[in-house]
Amino acid sequence: MNLTLHIWRQENTTAEGRFSTYRVEEISPDMSFLEMLDVLNERLINKGEVPVEFEHDCREGICGTCSLMINGVPHGPEKGTTTCQLHMRKFKDGDEITIEPWRAKAFPVLKDLVVDRSAFDRIIQKGGYISANTGNAPDGNAIPIPKPDSDWAFEAAACIGCGACVAACKNASASLFVAAKVTHLGLLPQGQPERYLRVTAMVEQMDQEGFGSCTNTYDCEGACPKQISVRNIARMNRDYLKAKIMGN
Amino acid sequence: MIGIFRSTILTKIAMALSGLIWIGFSIAHLSGHFLLFAGQEAYNAYGQGLKDLGPLLWLGRIIFIISFLLHSFSGILLLSRNKEARPVQYKAKKPIVSTPQSRMMALTGILLFTFMVYHLAHFTWGVVHAEYSHLTYTLSDGREVHDVYTMVIGSYQNVFVCLAYVLFMLGFGIHLSHAIASVVQTLGFNHPMYNSLVKKVANGLSTIIILGYISIPASVMLGVLKLTGGH
Repeated sequence: MNLTLHIWRQENTTAEGRFSTYRVEEISPDMSFLEMLDVLNERLINKGEVPVEFEHDCREGICGTCSLMINGVPHGPEKGTTTCQLHMRKFKDGDEITIEPWRAKAFPVLKDLVVDRSAFDRIIQKGGYISANTGNAPDGNAIPIPKPDSDWAFEAAACIGCGACVAACKNASASLFVAAKVTHLGLLPQGQPERYLRVTAMVEQMDQEGFGSCTNTYDCEGACPKQISVRNIARMNRDYLKAKIMGN
Repeated sequence: MIGIFRSTILTKIAMALSGLIWIGFSIAHLSGHFLLFAGQEAYNAYGQGLKDLGPLLWLGRIIFIISFLLHSFSGILLLSRNKEARPVQYKAKKPIVSTPQSRMMALTGILLFTFMVYHLAHFTWGVVHAEYSHLTYTLSDGREVHDVYTMVIGSYQNVFVCLAYVLFMLGFGIHLSHAIASVVQTLGFNHPMYNSLVKKVANGLSTIIILGYISIPASVMLGVLKLTGGH
């Protein structure tokens, strides 16, 4: 496959960025999207040019590190898939592909396609944990949890914190991320004692980071590589309102 | 109270609740105006009946004005916050599952504000299309009241006025079709068991409200509702 790539290049956070166009030739349809970028970078290095910076780690779709806006859709055209698991067979020979970083005030561009997602870490630091020492893993059936609750908690826990929800949202809102984290702990018995403190602290940190608000357009759910439901946002709203009325 | 507006979720909830009051108003307002189909006597008596409510009418008006201010203030606050949240726009950005109406709430909101000013200037303050605004009608009990029937029907006989109302109502329909389901989500209700029902009720209710409103100028245009000359 021969492709034309329009890639956002930006020297550092304060520098002004611009799009650069590159031609990549003889790309195998079996390559992953990141492997295609590896090929481009090898060619750039061989020519003595600066390679395109992008983030990646596990390349198995479970770490949440890769983060590319591909033709206007976070993680590209395949539903429920991270960029690293997207294959070039989803594109056609001769395609033009626009690759941009996540765009949000709370996610400043560090270089090229790499953004700083520490805002998510700071939200987690506010309450995305259980502070009681729960000891060793308990016996499987020692703590009874209704099946629908454990399934829902598991679905929410699948969030890999990639930030595709923020990238897709027209308001750059982090509601789906925060809601998933709040729900995954708030549905389980171990998460109950800090349930309302957690939702208040995490939501307030989210607001402080400068993310936008949720306007229920649901593009976050459509973009999420783990297909996490906006149902979690409704639950977060409910818990947050309860916390405010009852004083945590 | 001010603290509410520091939180995006509480601001959204304020927006949802004030919007809910306006959804209630639009249903009540439409039900009242359906009396146009019951004839000049019934409609003019209804108009006078509203005025006779006195302080109660003002209580209602105050609730609607506060809801309006809360809804617009929250909307403007969230909109400016949301614009700030993405200072650099994408070159290519595609909607994934979002509907056009969900992305156009601010735009249709501004359209509705324009409509409200026009609508109040037309029927409440009587400063535009004023030729039918100051007529009187004698009810069967002998009371002389404002002839609102002639004012409404006379105005809608102008094709441009009629068209303006129909277009504004279509804009209202776009706003409403997202608003009703959105209120439910914002207030924290979302469950696979009733989500499809919420969607159906939201679509059904907004369609009924909009068709109801459009039916009034349309009936005038089609000659179903006409001037009866009055007393």
